[in-house]
Amino acid sequence: MKNRLRVLRTEAGWTQAELAERLGVSRQAINAVETEKHDPSLDLAFRISALFKRRVEDIFENPH
Amino acid sequence: MPTHVASARATSPGRSYAVRTVAFMSAYVLVHVAAIAGLFDSILGKPAGWAVAALAALLVAGQIWATLRLMAQSDEYVRVIVAKCFILAAGATMALWTAWGFGETYAAAPHIPGWLFYPIFWGIYALVSPFVRTSN
Repeated sequence: MKNRLRVLRTEAGWTQAELAERLGVSRQAINAVETEKHDPSLDLAFRISALFKRRVEDIFENPH
Repeated sequence: MPTHVASARATSPGRSYAVRTVAFMSAYVLVHVAAIAGLFDSILGKPAGWAVAALAALLVAGQIWATLRLMAQSDEYVRVIVAKCFILAAGATMALWTAWGFGETYAAAPHIPGWLFYPIFWGIYALVSPFVRTSN
């Protein structure tokens, strides 16, 4: 699923590890989402949305 | 063994898994070392031999428990990756074992001890792990 997570992360000045720490997931999970190897669960998508104060649809491209 | 584990926190899932794996695998290897050293020779062919079998089985079950704990304590991505690797390795091992079993029966293939299934499974797990990167 295409997403803007890497853009938002770099704008915030965070490394993947720092973002992972803030979200309570592994750095590998962050890398997998950014490289579209993993579609986040609804829970994780909402946590990302809350952290960056953006709507889920503004971060993840709706594929449907 | 899985290397893709959650980032560090107090007793990270990866660290817990590593400690448990070292414990169960070391004990499993010790059983083999004891067997090779002849410590079980006096119970060969006797009902007491089942005690050795039960011990080995408990250690295998312990490692499976450690893997399930890793999955329970890890994030969604690591959980899926470990599960996929486990299924692929189990499937490949079962396919190989089935083929060899039929080979023993119908093609005069030499007999392989059943307990080899376990180390071969983890060997195949190590081979497939680098190629499992997506949760899809």
